[in-house]
Amino acid sequence: MCGAHAAVRTLVGEMVAEYDRPTVVDMEAGLEHLSRGTTRHVDRLLAVFEPYFKSLETGARVCELAKELGIKQIFGVANKVRHANDERAIREFCARRSVELAGFIPYDDALLEAERAGVAPLDYDRHGLAVQAIAELAKKLLHANGAP
Amino acid sequence: MKIAVAGKGGSGKTTIAGTLARLMAQQNGNEVLAIDGDSNPNLALTLGLSREQTAQVTSMPRSVLQRVTDIEGKTKVVLAKSPDEIIREFGVKTSDGVTLLVMPGVDHAGAG
Repeated sequence: MCGAHAAVRTLVGEMVAEYDRPTVVDMEAGLEHLSRGTTRHVDRLLAVFEPYFKSLETGARVCELAKELGIKQIFGVANKVRHANDERAIREFCARRSVELAGFIPYDDALLEAERAGVAPLDYDRHGLAVQAIAELAKKLLHANGAP
Repeated sequence: MKIAVAGKGGSGKTTIAGTLARLMAQQNGNEVLAIDGDSNPNLALTLGLSREQTAQVTSMPRSVLQRVTDIEGKTKVVLAKSPDEIIREFGVKTSDGVTLLVMPGVDHAGAG
């Protein structure tokens, strides 16, 4: 691991450790960036994946790695879900790989429209399908068992 | 509650992380810290900053980290300031009570 990457990861880890309010970390993309340095003080990890096999596979790997890193609560979140068939396939895959699903975010054109308009999804349409599903996810996380 | 959101590029992790941070702040009336570990301008946009504001967001300097040597001669990297100071100096407040902190980018070409 190169020094610059290591330093940034230490920085994320230290901030998470020493700041005492709720914190959400948008992690670097990619498996190779999940490290003890960053996640040491994280109590929940969400692995976001899309409904196709390679993405599911990566999501399951992220969950396994997170477990090895000692993170207490690990959830999969399926994003851009279009069909009931997708949902069924995702549930089966996650059951097989012991991934606990925290939510299904439906595919939502409003997110693209928001981006085109240069507006945040929440400001574009706070009752949009995807935003509503993320709101459900937020509630679930806030009330998850063992909340510190 | 400290949540890490992981996933491949393009999976929508940044949209989910940012929207989640705002909703957590709104639902609980809490201050929430959103850390951009990916130098991804989309997090700022998702948090409700305008394109102009987003363009002005700067990442934290590396100097907030300090290398120290302990009594046994081991070196480790620690924060040079308290988290509150770091947030006050480099954090960007948004309208929902979310503060954005952008990690220093890594120069992939030059990083060894």
